[in-house]
Amino acid sequence: MKKRATAIGVVAFLGMVDALYLTVMRGIHVPCSVTGGCNEVLTSAYSEFYGIPLSMIGLAFYFIVFCLAVLDAFEVAPLLKWVFWLALPAFVITLVLLYLQAFVILHFCQYCLASAAFISTIFLISAWPRQRRQILN
Amino acid sequence: MNFARVFLAFFDYYFGMSNKTKPFIVIVVAVVLAAGIAVYWSRQSAASGEGSNNTIIAANPGGGHIRGKATAPVTLVEFGDYECPSCGYYYPMVEEVLRRYPDKVKLEFHHYPLIQMHAHALAAAMAAEAAGDQGKFWEMHDMLYKHQTQWARNPNPEAQFLAFATDLGLDANKFMRSLKSPDVEKRILEDIQRGSNARVEGTPTFYINGQSLNPLPSGVDDFAAIIDATPQPSK
Repeated sequence: MKKRATAIGVVAFLGMVDALYLTVMRGIHVPCSVTGGCNEVLTSAYSEFYGIPLSMIGLAFYFIVFCLAVLDAFEVAPLLKWVFWLALPAFVITLVLLYLQAFVILHFCQYCLASAAFISTIFLISAWPRQRRQILN
Repeated sequence: MNFARVFLAFFDYYFGMSNKTKPFIVIVVAVVLAAGIAVYWSRQSAASGEGSNNTIIAANPGGGHIRGKATAPVTLVEFGDYECPSCGYYYPMVEEVLRRYPDKVKLEFHHYPLIQMHAHALAAAMAAEAAGDQGKFWEMHDMLYKHQTQWARNPNPEAQFLAFATDLGLDANKFMRSLKSPDVEKRILEDIQRGSNARVEGTPTFYINGQSLNPLPSGVDDFAAIIDATPQPSK
């Protein structure tokens, strides 16, 4: 078992559950006990991109990353560099979404913050120095 | 016992497989598991809000536009934002509820445009009020919700509002004057204040005879069940 790929797989699995939950709950009031602003965030104009809910885009991202990580963990092919190139734009988008929550919508959504943590973790693990050397080679 | 046997058989099968097949099995099992957890979790959170969480507010916030029979015993109050996608999602449900209970339910609509989030929500509320000045508030209300996805994406939806007004046979000049009128804006700001007083947190927020619907009903039948269970005040 490869440690990095397994760790990414586990985080991507958690991300899948989170994104699936938000996809199922779209248009329904979600309980928001921690941050108290979920429904403002999840119904805002920024909750979709050209009509596609962000939760679905996130779900697709986590699913692809999960598949890549599992295939890498079983040594089918070295795929972690692809995880890195997927996680890099995802991380940038995450920063934009955090900015929107903090300064534009003025509400935070705990499910979105969890997803931000998952994506950051995936990005950091995939960008680990050893991995980067592999990419450069 | 049987379950354990199936589980063990699965494990035997799994370890007998080649390393090329294993990852696909892992992926399929993980996807099914994730879907199961997410669906279970969403059911739980939908159920947890029922009953105990409903807060009672002042049954009559004042103002608002009434649709339906004034004598209807059940008042469904909506604090809505014409640009909010959830409100657009609930619009046909509310209409269906009014169709199902023509004598029992009336709708009391209040503007609650989320100005910081939705660039055109205030303008849309003003368009509805402007049409209201010529006696066609509900006709414009319908137009705005039905065509929400069109005008909400338009950087300058005013022309579209004017086209709606013309379609409804309104006097265009008068409509444009109302659309810019500070009086009309004041009416909407008063509604927002009423919403804040009623502790509206997001849109749409519904109250049935003063009882807030939290979580929001999942469909028309859910709405109907709540209305059927509502005690009717004796007049």
